[in-house]
Amino acid sequence: MTDAAAHSQQVVLVVEDEILVRMIIADYLRSCGYRVIEAVSADEAMIILQHRELEVDVVFSDVEMPGSMDGFELSRWLRANRPTVDVILAGSVARATDAAAELCDSGPIPKPYEPQLAADRIRQLMALRSARKKKV
Amino acid sequence: MSGNMSGNTLIEGASACVAKAAVLVVEDDVLTRMATSEELRDYGYSVVEAANVDEALAVLHGPTRIDLVVTDMKMPGALDGAALAQHIRTELPFVKVVMISGQTPAPEVRRILDGYLPKPVAPADLASYVQELTPAHVSSKAS
Repeated sequence: MTDAAAHSQQVVLVVEDEILVRMIIADYLRSCGYRVIEAVSADEAMIILQHRELEVDVVFSDVEMPGSMDGFELSRWLRANRPTVDVILAGSVARATDAAAELCDSGPIPKPYEPQLAADRIRQLMALRSARKKKV
Repeated sequence: MSGNMSGNTLIEGASACVAKAAVLVVEDDVLTRMATSEELRDYGYSVVEAANVDEALAVLHGPTRIDLVVTDMKMPGALDGAALAQHIRTELPFVKVVMISGQTPAPEVRRILDGYLPKPVAPADLASYVQELTPAHVSSKAS
């Protein structure tokens, strides 16, 4: 089975207000086989996350974004309301690193991040999810 | 913003040699943008998503080739779909523009468009319409 086939059902929500960054990350993750949904803000992400017919596996979010929520607040909402959704924060603010580490499974990906690093992080999260499900 | 140094300008005339057309979808409603973009991807198009005209201009004047722009008319921000279409016609005349709007565009706007579809548009209908405008690029929907 190819990587693309193995990840064909996995949905990654990329939340990033910088179009050129979002485009590159989203395209890269699609080339890895993920279904990628793009959101320009946490507000848009909330619309996706609360849509009944959309099931998101991973939220890959910027920290600083315009709108009513930033990446931290989005992560807190996910922890409280969608605990099965994994969160990756790609932080651009060094002082936010500690807070991001508490929210993420293993800390934020420093920005600028490499697409391969993002894909590797998502694979690690998926492997952890699979392992957890097998234990249940 | 000048289009003379953009990637789209540099590859003018080369897009006809490429099998996979690149479509820029400009839509401020995230669910509509997602549905439209995913349908176009299912048809084999390379799709870039922009949430407003500012994002669209950043893409159009960046290194990514865009063959066709599908834009909503009404969007938040300083520029709407009509202004985007006018900009493309002036700066990037080889890029095709299809507008989606609940209101019929004014004649001076309609004249510069390659296509117009009234809302609501089913994503599949849009994909078929785009296919007609880019016959050299994509032949059929992916399975």
